[in-house]
Amino acid sequence: MADDEAAKVDATDKVDANDEADKGDKVKLLKDMLYEAVCQHGSDSRLFTQKDLVDLGVVPANDPILLLSLIQGLTDDKLLVASTGPTGICWRWRNREEAKKYTSLPNDETAMVYSVIDEAGADGIWNRTIKNRLNMHEAVVKNCIKYLETKGYIASMKNVEHPNKKMYIKANLAPSERATGGPWFTDGELDTAFIEELKRLVFEYIKTKSAYLGSQGGHRGDAASNVRAPKRGIIKGSGDSNGTRGNKRAATDMSMDEGANGKEASPVVAPRQRGGKVFLPLPAGYKKYPTVAEIARFINIEGITNNTTLSVPDVQQLVDVLYYDGLIEPVRVGARRGYRVTRPTRQSTVSFQPGMGLEVDMLGPEPRGNGLTEVPCGRCPVFELCGEGGPVSPSNCVYFVKWLDLEDAVEGAAKPTLIAAP
Amino acid sequence: MHVTQNAAELCSLLVDEFHGELPSRIYSTLLMRGKSSIQQLCQYTLMTPRQLRHGLAVLHQFNLLFNQVEDNGMTLYEANPDHTYNLVRAGRILEMVETSFGPAGKDVMQSLFTSGQTRISDLVTAYQGKSGRANGLSKQFDDEDDEDNKANGMNGAPSQSKKLEGPVKSTAELNSILCRLVEAELIDVVHRRTFISPEGILKAVDKEVTDKFFPNGVKGGKGKIEHKQHIGEALRSIRGESKSLKRKLEQNGPAAKRRKLFANGISSNGFSNGVHDDEVDPALDAKQVVRINYEKCLVDLRNRRLVQFVTELIGDITAYVYGVLLHLLTKRIPRCRLDATMDLDQDGQETDQQGPVFVTTAELLDQLKTSIDLSQGLGKTSAQDIATKAAEKISEHPPKPKLWIEETEVDGEASEDESDDDNESDTGYDADYKPAVNGTRVKFADGVAPKEQRLDRTGQLRQHLLLLSNSAQGFVRHCGHDEWTVDFAPLMKVLREAELDSTIERTSGRDGMRLVRILRDKGKLDEKALHSIALMRKPDVQKKMTEMLKAGFVHVQEVPRDNKADVKKSIFLWFCDTDMSFKKITDNCYRAMVRCIQTLEVLRQNEQEVLMLTRRTDVKGREKDVMREEYYERYARFQDNERKLFAQVMRLDDLVALLRDF
Repeated sequence: MADDEAAKVDATDKVDANDEADKGDKVKLLKDMLYEAVCQHGSDSRLFTQKDLVDLGVVPANDPILLLSLIQGLTDDKLLVASTGPTGICWRWRNREEAKKYTSLPNDETAMVYSVIDEAGADGIWNRTIKNRLNMHEAVVKNCIKYLETKGYIASMKNVEHPNKKMYIKANLAPSERATGGPWFTDGELDTAFIEELKRLVFEYIKTKSAYLGSQGGHRGDAASNVRAPKRGIIKGSGDSNGTRGNKRAATDMSMDEGANGKEASPVVAPRQRGGKVFLPLPAGYKKYPTVAEIARFINIEGITNNTTLSVPDVQQLVDVLYYDGLIEPVRVGARRGYRVTRPTRQSTVSFQPGMGLEVDMLGPEPRGNGLTEVPCGRCPVFELCGEGGPVSPSNCVYFVKWLDLEDAVEGAAKPTLIAAP
Repeated sequence: MHVTQNAAELCSLLVDEFHGELPSRIYSTLLMRGKSSIQQLCQYTLMTPRQLRHGLAVLHQFNLLFNQVEDNGMTLYEANPDHTYNLVRAGRILEMVETSFGPAGKDVMQSLFTSGQTRISDLVTAYQGKSGRANGLSKQFDDEDDEDNKANGMNGAPSQSKKLEGPVKSTAELNSILCRLVEAELIDVVHRRTFISPEGILKAVDKEVTDKFFPNGVKGGKGKIEHKQHIGEALRSIRGESKSLKRKLEQNGPAAKRRKLFANGISSNGFSNGVHDDEVDPALDAKQVVRINYEKCLVDLRNRRLVQFVTELIGDITAYVYGVLLHLLTKRIPRCRLDATMDLDQDGQETDQQGPVFVTTAELLDQLKTSIDLSQGLGKTSAQDIATKAAEKISEHPPKPKLWIEETEVDGEASEDESDDDNESDTGYDADYKPAVNGTRVKFADGVAPKEQRLDRTGQLRQHLLLLSNSAQGFVRHCGHDEWTVDFAPLMKVLREAELDSTIERTSGRDGMRLVRILRDKGKLDEKALHSIALMRKPDVQKKMTEMLKAGFVHVQEVPRDNKADVKKSIFLWFCDTDMSFKKITDNCYRAMVRCIQTLEVLRQNEQEVLMLTRRTDVKGREKDVMREEYYERYARFQDNERKLFAQVMRLDDLVALLRDF
């Protein structure tokens, strides 16, 4: 119908040139007026029905034929985009710059490709989807995309959900959160360093808020030694091995830490031996364990996430990871869901500052060991193969020799020696 | 005990280590072949019946065998792997007995370990013999015990200790120690059916019950339930037979015992380890044969383990309080795991005749050492640093009418119902809540400060108990006003998982642990969901999961989308089967223990010449003086390694005990 009308208009145009110029001006004027009015009445995502357009009051006498010709004109200029709304055909407006891009395109194929990409919006679109939707030959689509890319109208992007798919997006749009993966991704890659740093910060926050930094009094020393005397026997094994591990770590880390932050380095290694401060659990029912909302507020006030604002669900995700790492535990007091640090007395009392870097090797205390992880077998790569008479067996186990510190003894025993009774 | 290949190997090695090669060979044959008669054993082992009888006697002495007399008079022997495995725990149990009963108790227990099940009179004679040997060295003590007046004073010198004064000083003391151990159920009586395997007993009881109550056969659902109840009852009574000695003691002298508790004061575990008023202990029947009751030992070991966990997770003082609580609570708990036929009714509820088990705050307070400062160990404030005090609040559980409910959460609404009994400041949770905080220190809420400072000892004790009951693990349940109990089954499950987590953390790193915990929490997940929850990079997740799949911590399930089951289209779901992981780790532990013992054997081979030397009678006991320095060094080093390896076996057993027995 619109075409007929347009043809009719054309026909009348041809009849009278004078009239035509006059009418053309008038139509152009009305077109501009209509476009301005539409722009005034909503964003470029609003859908206008025919009734909406009539109600704008731009078209004299609400002439539907005139309206039709105006819409046709604007659509040809790519200033209006027709689409199907819930009540039939609708239009939304497009800004002039965009429209100019469309009109500057060399052929229809390119325009179609561009419009498909345009419609996909901030989510971007996979090149194969373009091909399927337009039912074009791959080479044609490729050419169009190449043209559009060189013109700078579209850009390729990466979607974290489908990292292997080649996606395109309009050049002037930023990819949506779904495509970028939210605040945890930078350039389509999970930003582990950022997450790690933030985790430390959040952990430190929870630690200081959910445990009490107290000193070990003299009384306590007495009592503790009395109480712990029997127990010491049991945990001796672990204590010893932990001790040696701790020392080993100290040897390698000390120099580094001391360079980095001077005096604070040594308490990291031995917070308890220093006898000074230690984190103590807070009494039951303590009601100021930090909640996720508080943590989120803290992060935003701290401002370490320069340009991104972390929402509460994002922070929840981070806190969950800390929980799964066994560093914190949820605690419910009344209606309040807070988080507190686990194993408070084993925590390092050195406070973490943002920007301190990743020199402090691990969050929280050393993981607990047990019999299986300490014995060489627990971490032996050939544990399954090992057996008497096999290629690997206890009699030629290098790990045990090392573990028992027997290297020289084995050599000694290998030499045949005669022993005389003393 | 589920006997895997590694477990069988371990048991044989243990028998070898403790009792020598002959019993070990017979034992491993029995494990391998199942129930066998002597004739069959002859065939399997190519030993003479005489040798076999020697070996079997040793195994019997230490309760490592079951036997069963068939109708035709033939005796079948069967290995008892549970008891054999318990040999590993000897050191642990001795240490535990020493802390609870003092060195004398340990000495008696050790004698029981070295001599197996023993008649009491034999034990007395053995101690007399020891003192007789040491007679020349020291003067005799007069024995006040009128019952056994020919007995010499025991002036010590059991062969293993070089001290002049042995821990057990008189037969009366020996008697009283035995009484204490029996009362604590750490030793019990050997009776006729001790040597019959549980299956054998069940079979016999089944037959008895059917003959007696159901001569026409068991019919209908009701009949079946009744039948089961009868069997359970009969089994319970058989199990009770071994406690006959304890019952007798309880009949004789609960009053005497109580008097003693007042007279001697109580050591950390509630037992006086000093000298007893000997005359109040009735003499034990000399003909009774006693043995170590591993079931009860395990309960005590479990208590120690729990205390260790609390020390790790919360703090020393709280752990001490917990230890005392557990001790009081488990006096009436005979075993860690309940038996399905004997202890549970058809609903899976415990058929407990003794009523609910709980400890009150007052009972607990009576048992605490006075030297313990309960105000320490909690994030409370001492008088001088008021500025850094933390606002605190007690939230209490409502009294629970029923035990064995899994309830670890602190319920806000419920606690408000009770807010007025001892905590007036408890006026709703957000009423006086101020979000304003200064730096890292929480500002102290006014009005609470002076109150907290004035907390008396009961209040302080309650603080620790509340902390325990509010822990995520649910160490304690506040089951009534000032009544405390422990739900062992759910608690041990949590701790087993914690142990699994730390094993994974040590072997696969923290990332691995994170992934496993996510899977445990969320159920089955596909890879995409997994890496977005874990905030890890996809290749990292893939690598870690494959690694853990190999180690047996996680498993994968393939779910096809359609009938064609195209692999490319299938969904792969990761999941972790915790029980399977436990089994895997337990078996790995057995294996690691086997390797430790084998390594020790290798060391013995290497140092054979030195060890031969130390076995000579003129060298034994004074190695350092007699041996050449070079050899002594090698000997000392070997001993050192031996200790290390055995210690490691014991540490492995800690894990096995937690995963399998607690």
